[in-house]
Amino acid sequence: MLIRRRRGWETPEAHATPEALVVGRRAALGAGAALFAAPALAQQGPPIAPAPDPAFTAMRNPRFRPERDITAMREAATYNNYYEFGSHKGIWPAAQRLPQRPWTIRIEGLVEREREIGIEEILRIPAEERVLRLRCVEAWAMTVPWTGFAMSELLRLASPLSSARYVVFETAMHRPSMTGLRQSWYPWPYTEGCTIAEAANELAFVATGMYGRPLPPQNGGPVRILFPWKYGFKSGKSIVAVRFAAERPVSFWERLQGNEYGFWANVNPEVPHPRWSQATERLLGTNERVPTRLFNGYGEFVAGLYTGLQHERLWA
Amino acid sequence: MLILAVVMLCVAVLLAVAFGLAPLGAVIYAADPPFLNTLQAGIQRNLGPWVWDEALLPVLESPSWAVPASLGVLFLAAGLWARRG
Repeated sequence: MLIRRRRGWETPEAHATPEALVVGRRAALGAGAALFAAPALAQQGPPIAPAPDPAFTAMRNPRFRPERDITAMREAATYNNYYEFGSHKGIWPAAQRLPQRPWTIRIEGLVEREREIGIEEILRIPAEERVLRLRCVEAWAMTVPWTGFAMSELLRLASPLSSARYVVFETAMHRPSMTGLRQSWYPWPYTEGCTIAEAANELAFVATGMYGRPLPPQNGGPVRILFPWKYGFKSGKSIVAVRFAAERPVSFWERLQGNEYGFWANVNPEVPHPRWSQATERLLGTNERVPTRLFNGYGEFVAGLYTGLQHERLWA
Repeated sequence: MLILAVVMLCVAVLLAVAFGLAPLGAVIYAADPPFLNTLQAGIQRNLGPWVWDEALLPVLESPSWAVPASLGVLFLAAGLWARRG
């Protein structure tokens, strides 16, 4: 007599689910999933960045070698510091409410003629693409293909007087979208500044686009400044005024927490932030930690700007 | 409870005399400029942005005496209710 002992995984034929039922269940599950997914897809919210636009595509300038992989656009457009929208990294949906048109930039202070420049005039300046490393003071970094022009072009447009020694950049204040402005005790608007020599340096950049698209608002759209050799907070976003001054300005963060965020704020791995090391940085996307470089690796362009300024707090 | 109510109401009066209608946030900022920024970053990054925007910001926007005054009235009501019971 044959005695057959079933092993644990063996199931009697009678217990098996009929094939027709399985196929029917899959179809029903598929239909159900589609039913639930449709409203979810419809409510995905705003896209993270405007669509690619040939008007924001330009020839890449080979002089500025990134020496790193370009950060994925999704990372660069969804991990942002923009204090007017909050103190967390997920501000991009809120920033979509910042109107990008009409947009004007006031040119004021020590200039031949104070005036307003429309974004249309800014966009007529011949553009180039630069792939630049951006190093945040919080020890993370990204590498982004920006479209725009050298800041020296902006200086040429503004015609500052010879008495102007500093440039102040002012960020937009749009109360309906920027919840941070409710904190009326802060010294709004956000301002940042640099010397005329720094602004005229070939590495200083004015960006109007990134990844071949208009600059998303969370990244500083429609127009921002970039000082790639300085910590990121120096690179003001959504600029509405450029002011030329004889006296050194006190910027927003300098006023708020001057011991941590100074005027010069050049990248230096050997000078730690009061609360953390600046020796390494985390690359957005891969989370790889790499050594931080002096002047964010752009010393050949900018080191000469600081000759004779050793008495200044150049690194924080 | 009634003692606590009196203390809170006294604090509210002192704050009202010293700072008038100035928001609580402005009073804290004047005393310690980086404090609220650090607190905001900690809350928004670890608990959620809405905790700051919806719960704490309205409190910080209100006059500095509003919180102790509200607590004082609350304690006063609770104390009187307990005494009556």
